[in-house]
Amino acid sequence: MATATGTDTKPMKAPMKPEDVLRVIAAGRGRAICVPTMTTSPAWRTIAPDDLSVGCVGFMGGASSMGLGLALARPDRRVIVLDGDGSLLMQLGSLATNAGAAPRNFVHLLFKNGVYHTSGAQGIPGGLDVDFVMMAKGAGYRVVTMIDDLEEFKRRLPELLAAGGPVFAELHTGLAEQTPMTARGGVAFHQQVENLRNALLKPRAR
Amino acid sequence: MPESIPATLVIDTLRDLFREARAAHAKEVAEPPQHSHLGWVLSVPDTHQKTVLAALDKEESIRVVTCATEDEATAIAAGLYMGGEPVVLMIQHAGLYASINTLRGVAMDGRIPMFYMIGLLSREKDKDPRESRHSMVRYCEPLLDTFGVPHARLEGPNDVHLIPEYYRLSRERRGPAAVLVGLETI
Repeated sequence: MATATGTDTKPMKAPMKPEDVLRVIAAGRGRAICVPTMTTSPAWRTIAPDDLSVGCVGFMGGASSMGLGLALARPDRRVIVLDGDGSLLMQLGSLATNAGAAPRNFVHLLFKNGVYHTSGAQGIPGGLDVDFVMMAKGAGYRVVTMIDDLEEFKRRLPELLAAGGPVFAELHTGLAEQTPMTARGGVAFHQQVENLRNALLKPRAR
Repeated sequence: MPESIPATLVIDTLRDLFREARAAHAKEVAEPPQHSHLGWVLSVPDTHQKTVLAALDKEESIRVVTCATEDEATAIAAGLYMGGEPVVLMIQHAGLYASINTLRGVAMDGRIPMFYMIGLLSREKDKDPRESRHSMVRYCEPLLDTFGVPHARLEGPNDVHLIPEYYRLSRERRGPAAVLVGLETI
């Protein structure tokens, strides 16, 4: 597995379209549980409308923590977190918590666009210069990398999903076509929770 | 007058609580458990409950995850719940204040059972917490009331029965419930 640190990341080029990245993930996830948040949420619910996902909207920054809980509870399944850079900055300490808990089945994909897209595309502190790869590596993730090319992402996703985690990949993406503000609706959070729990646990008929 | 609760009593209570939770879970779902330990404690270290946390370090039947923030602890608990695992959160009143939006967004909006043990650091032995001269003690119960979170005081060893009772209550109401640890555990 090739790894990268903040010192050997490549210069930014034309960013990947988040919807294209999400389609690649949907095609390769298998039985993995997915946790989208903010601008990955509207596209994900169209691309992967299933009961093995739960969105993190309304508690910004919590996606990787919720994913960690799922990964710890269910070591038989891979958990893929579809995080955002602005979101992660709200709970940056979660990198250390995720790495410290060290679930082997935990894959943290960061969609890096440098802005708070949902609230009007204001720049995040530090903008695109923030090196999340270095932060994840410093926190103790087992595998860290940066990917800025869709073909490379297609090629490398299987190895990222097969690697012993925690895995972190910073994905250089542009702005999504929709945000939770422009594409409201979808299944209510509490119903998503119920659906995922039922899908995982198979309640006995009463 | 409130009394300190021995850590061993809290641990024994948690063990019994988790055993009961696992048994109830086994009746409800077909999926077999994936873990051999009894349950999980998510903690952001709390001075008030430090003897319990120290004892938990040596307790193999309960897994402890130390979190950097109470927001994380709440979201991790949600994930564990969806995966069928029993969880207790051990935090401090200041951590409740810090994470109240996550409690709202996760436990309340998500209708997720969430049981908190909240240490009332600096609570005076001779004062009702609502009359404490420390704002972090004084505002804890009013804040929980504002959010409609049921709560009870652990004022001594005779009150530990409230731990499983409020854990069960969080399951029944599908939302948060809390017990407030009045004095520092011993």
